[in-house]
Amino acid sequence: MLLTSILLLPLLGALIVLALPASLRVLHRTIAITVTGIAAILSLFLLLGYQGGIQGYQFIHEIPWVPSIGLNYRVGVDGINLGLVIMAAWVSFAAVLVSYEIRQKEKLYYFLLLLMCGGVIGTFASLDMIFFYAMHELALIPTFIMIGIWGRGEKKVYSAFQMAIYLSIGAMMVLAGIICLYAAGGAQTFDMEKLAGIYSQNPMPISLQKWILPLLLFGFGILVGLVPFHSWAPAAYTSAPSAAAMIHAGVLKKFGLYGIVRLILPIMPQTLQPWMEILVIMALINAIYCGLIAIRQKCFAQMISYSSLSHVGFIFLGIAVLNSIGLTGAIFLMIAHGFLAALLFALNGRIYQQIGNTSMDSISGLMQKMPFIGMILSATLMAGCGLPFFGNFVGEFMIFFGTWQSHYSWPTALAVFTGLIISAVYMLRAIRRILHGNLSSIASTAIDAENTWRKLPFILLMIALISIGTYPIILTNKIKDPVNNTLEPVISLTMPDTTNSDSSK
Amino acid sequence: MIATIETYLTIGLGHYLTVSVILFCLGLLGIMTRRNILVVYMSLELMLNAANLALIAFSRFNQNLDGQIMVMMVVTVAAAEVAVGLALIVSLARHKLPIWIDNLNKLKY
Amino acid sequence: MTIILFGILFLPIFSALSITFFSQKHPSISAGISIAISCITFLLTCVLCAMTQSQTLPIEIVYTWLSVGNLSVDLGFLVDRLSLIMLFVVTGVGSLIHIYSKGYMGKDPSLSRYFASLSIFMFSMIGIVLANNFLMIFIFWEMVGLSSYLLIGFWMTKGSAADAAKKAFLCNRIGDTGFLLGIILVWSCLGTLRFGEISNLLSTNPAAFSSLATITGLLLLCGVIGKSAQFPLHVWLPDAMEGPTPVSALIHAATMVAAGVYLLARGFDIFALSAAWPQGLDWLKFSTLDVIATIGAFTALMAALIAVQQNDIKRILAYSTLSQLGYMVMAIGLSYPIAAMYHLTTHAFFKALLFLGAGSVIVALHHEQNIWKMGGLQKRMPITFWTFLIATLALCGIPPLSGFFSKDYIVAEALHKNAYLGTIALVTAFLTTFYMGRLFFVSFIGRTRSKVSDHAKENSTIITMPLILLAIASVFAGFIGIDSYLMPHYSSQSLANTNMVFPYPSIDQAPDNWFKMLIYPFKHAPMAAILSICAVIAGGFLSFIFYFNAKNDILSSKFKTVSLWLKNRLYFDELYQNSAVWLQDKLALICDFIDRWIIGGIIIGIIYRIVDLIGRFCRFSQTGNIQTYTAIFVLGIIVLSYWVINW
Repeated sequence: MLLTSILLLPLLGALIVLALPASLRVLHRTIAITVTGIAAILSLFLLLGYQGGIQGYQFIHEIPWVPSIGLNYRVGVDGINLGLVIMAAWVSFAAVLVSYEIRQKEKLYYFLLLLMCGGVIGTFASLDMIFFYAMHELALIPTFIMIGIWGRGEKKVYSAFQMAIYLSIGAMMVLAGIICLYAAGGAQTFDMEKLAGIYSQNPMPISLQKWILPLLLFGFGILVGLVPFHSWAPAAYTSAPSAAAMIHAGVLKKFGLYGIVRLILPIMPQTLQPWMEILVIMALINAIYCGLIAIRQKCFAQMISYSSLSHVGFIFLGIAVLNSIGLTGAIFLMIAHGFLAALLFALNGRIYQQIGNTSMDSISGLMQKMPFIGMILSATLMAGCGLPFFGNFVGEFMIFFGTWQSHYSWPTALAVFTGLIISAVYMLRAIRRILHGNLSSIASTAIDAENTWRKLPFILLMIALISIGTYPIILTNKIKDPVNNTLEPVISLTMPDTTNSDSSK
Repeated sequence: MIATIETYLTIGLGHYLTVSVILFCLGLLGIMTRRNILVVYMSLELMLNAANLALIAFSRFNQNLDGQIMVMMVVTVAAAEVAVGLALIVSLARHKLPIWIDNLNKLKY
Repeated sequence: MTIILFGILFLPIFSALSITFFSQKHPSISAGISIAISCITFLLTCVLCAMTQSQTLPIEIVYTWLSVGNLSVDLGFLVDRLSLIMLFVVTGVGSLIHIYSKGYMGKDPSLSRYFASLSIFMFSMIGIVLANNFLMIFIFWEMVGLSSYLLIGFWMTKGSAADAAKKAFLCNRIGDTGFLLGIILVWSCLGTLRFGEISNLLSTNPAAFSSLATITGLLLLCGVIGKSAQFPLHVWLPDAMEGPTPVSALIHAATMVAAGVYLLARGFDIFALSAAWPQGLDWLKFSTLDVIATIGAFTALMAALIAVQQNDIKRILAYSTLSQLGYMVMAIGLSYPIAAMYHLTTHAFFKALLFLGAGSVIVALHHEQNIWKMGGLQKRMPITFWTFLIATLALCGIPPLSGFFSKDYIVAEALHKNAYLGTIALVTAFLTTFYMGRLFFVSFIGRTRSKVSDHAKENSTIITMPLILLAIASVFAGFIGIDSYLMPHYSSQSLANTNMVFPYPSIDQAPDNWFKMLIYPFKHAPMAAILSICAVIAGGFLSFIFYFNAKNDILSSKFKTVSLWLKNRLYFDELYQNSAVWLQDKLALICDFIDRWIIGGIIIGIIYRIVDLIGRFCRFSQTGNIQTYTAIFVLGIIVLSYWVINW
């Protein structure tokens, strides 16, 4: 019930906003803040109430939908999606809070935004593949519309279309994959848990796996922005209004990564190994290539889009190395990166709103005008280059250790190089250009966050990022058991003789 | 003689379907050839009812009510359609727009 | 005990947080909080030292920070003689510099930010000192990098300061890449990251690393090279002088840059492993220690040479720091960690004093840093003058000041083990005296060389008090027996495969009064002591000839080419700018080109054009006439039904 109420609250709010007349502008915002705020606070009860050491899902709520084809509304959390649900709820709240920048068609805006919020929470809470997919679409479609209507710059319509086309193709591939999973081994259920159970008992035929795995992998890959299917991301995030970029880059993009963990790893262990070796290389390309591109960007929004793609490369790497340290790190980094990306896009939005563009060539010395925003921005960029005590560091170093443990020696070295140096180069460059130096004339009219309400989203996200960074065990202890269960079929297949495999501990 | 007439007069499924097909084809021809939008509309209704006739006939000869239910559905939908369609035509006429169907080609490439 | 440790570690971060949240608008309160807390940590350290007198060391207190699979990271405290000494230096020198900062930075509008950053630094540095495992050291290692970044770039509106901060952070990051990889190797070979367990494992099984021993050591060494600014990553330290002077004293002279040496002493078991290379690389015969000694010696000599021709008072001191760090690193490379730690401690006192003295001069001269615009300060600033003189003599190694003892151990050991290294050590000692003499004669003695130095006045007590205290420490640090205090730490470890040297054959034979201490170097290795004193005298004499009452630099007019090279710091910055930075720039350019024009332009463009073309043709079927559509529709149905029926 708790989970259902968390994900239904924003959707309910969306309906209320829709029912109210368009002239009550303050009310739309108030309702949006209230529902997402309550959802965010409720999500913390998940963390408090979650009991470690128990197999399977908790907080399950099930409503039969179309039982004859095995389609049920079923939500629940285990360690893997617990953090993601909480992250989704808090990022949604922050996204609603920064939406004061929107000054037109507010009713429609808040309706769409709340749909997105409900969708992102729902997609991570769902244990049923159809709901998992449908909730993702529920959040995705408003993104296109929001970019088209409230987007920035002249290319916004082009960006929206590009994103729509890319992501629709990805989503279609995923849908096809899901239907294949449903039909393949005669499983006849959309329930992820049952599906994993069925396929672990009688594995899916290899001939089918050979087709379904790449279909799902690249479907999810396109949704995340795996190079070379990434062109939509920088374009769309540069044009998107802050809230849409925050929710999409921070939360919704993790759908693909989460999907790989949930639908590919436990279900198709037999054909996994060769594909994952390819994925290691693709992940490294993602990290290094996008990191290098980020160095060259002149526009801050472009830079953080590419940096976000670069970080996603690390998450892919953590998944692809197929051991518990790497995968735990990957899931941790998903959560941390969610907060980080949300913060970066929120800050980018604030700067854009104050100055009118985010070109790093023309803005400088902003620290003098915006001490608070400047401080948060420096901290966030530092977090982005993997500074300890921020969430990203914990995820990244676990991924590095995991990569080494799977005997990928050069990939580890390259990943460490990228994580420590390339990211530092572009992040520090941004600080140097935007915040330090003499105040440029274009920035002289900028004003800092005026009051606590304006500061709140930044503070909340920063607290989240720091608290998981300083006290990571709160999440890792919950993540590691389900991760071990997820990897069990793979590990038992790939290294049957090794005695010191990580499942021993 | 009488018997043969009776065999001809015993109306079977084939007769119903024949009538239904004739009606359907008439409707189709109407749609494809008539220019007045109102007449096209009437032809459309003719086609729907041709389908209804076939459904009822099947229902009668298969001894179940599925066809009847379908017909009820079709009638309901057709009623709604008429309401919307006629409203559109009336509003076209009110705005002094052509109601000749070959003039209504704004959706051309 | 636990409470005290927690207090020492977390009080500074508490201070940073409270300054950030509550007293950002009230600089004097912020300064008060920060100074009070740094003094409290110092007192707590003293209490800790007193408590551990009666206990067996090391004491380890461990909490789990993270545990996944077979990776487990602790928040752990390791209290032993090594960490206590370092903690003493950090909190002691740290508190004095906090107090000094109040005087030096008093009028700056962002004083709160300054003290908050300084508190973050104290937190991170104490974290490094107390850490009981490699990953915790790495975490705080990065954090000191951050605080150094914040403080170098404190005057961030100044472009050069912001650039220097960025450069320092990036150079450190390059080293840290190797460091983290080294940590991963340690973990994968030994399965633990705790220092205690590592040294137990290595003492029972020195071959635990098998063929990776030297590579691991070298990778860990990368971290040291970055943090302690050794060649080839030394370029950031001189630039770091853009920061406020107290910061240069605390971070870039006394503590943070010494963290590298501390790490070498801490992980000595790994560095001391004998050479072992994987197949294909086994033609490389050298061990980690050889590399460490070479890098240290080279850095010491090179930095001393460059220092000879610098004109900025802080830059001279920065190069001197590099050179002294080179000494310490070399001492480790000669398997002499006690001497390295000894020199680290004494160096922390007198180098901090030198920087603070320079700061005092800079304040009095209204931020003039060129030594050729100073001069004639001995009358005008007596306290600064005398303390600076003491520090200079200590740095040069004049007995009985502290620098003499610590440096003599290193020189003696170098001469004993390796004639080349010994010569380098002696030449460096000579150069040290020479450039320090130059600095001293030009900036303090003689005529005033500019108007500002004419009007110089001694600073207030808040600035001079730390100078006096540090001067006392610099004088007497050689007599408190730091070396004999450290001995049990290393002799208790059974280092089977190292030929580690101790200053005394056994702890009982350590000299017990000040006079014996003073003559011990002459008894122990008379050659070295005499040679190094000769080098000092020669250097001092030469600098006296060249620079006493000199109008301009004679050397730079006589040896133009050499002087130009030295002035330009041997063109290392230009070299890196044109190689590494250039390469990275070009790589980024290529990637950007591929993304923008090949993926974004050609591939997407081609797909777009094809779809567009198909669309252009297909649209002709859209006539807009419903009847046409109907006809096509019916035709379609007929075709389909024909197909279905005849299937």
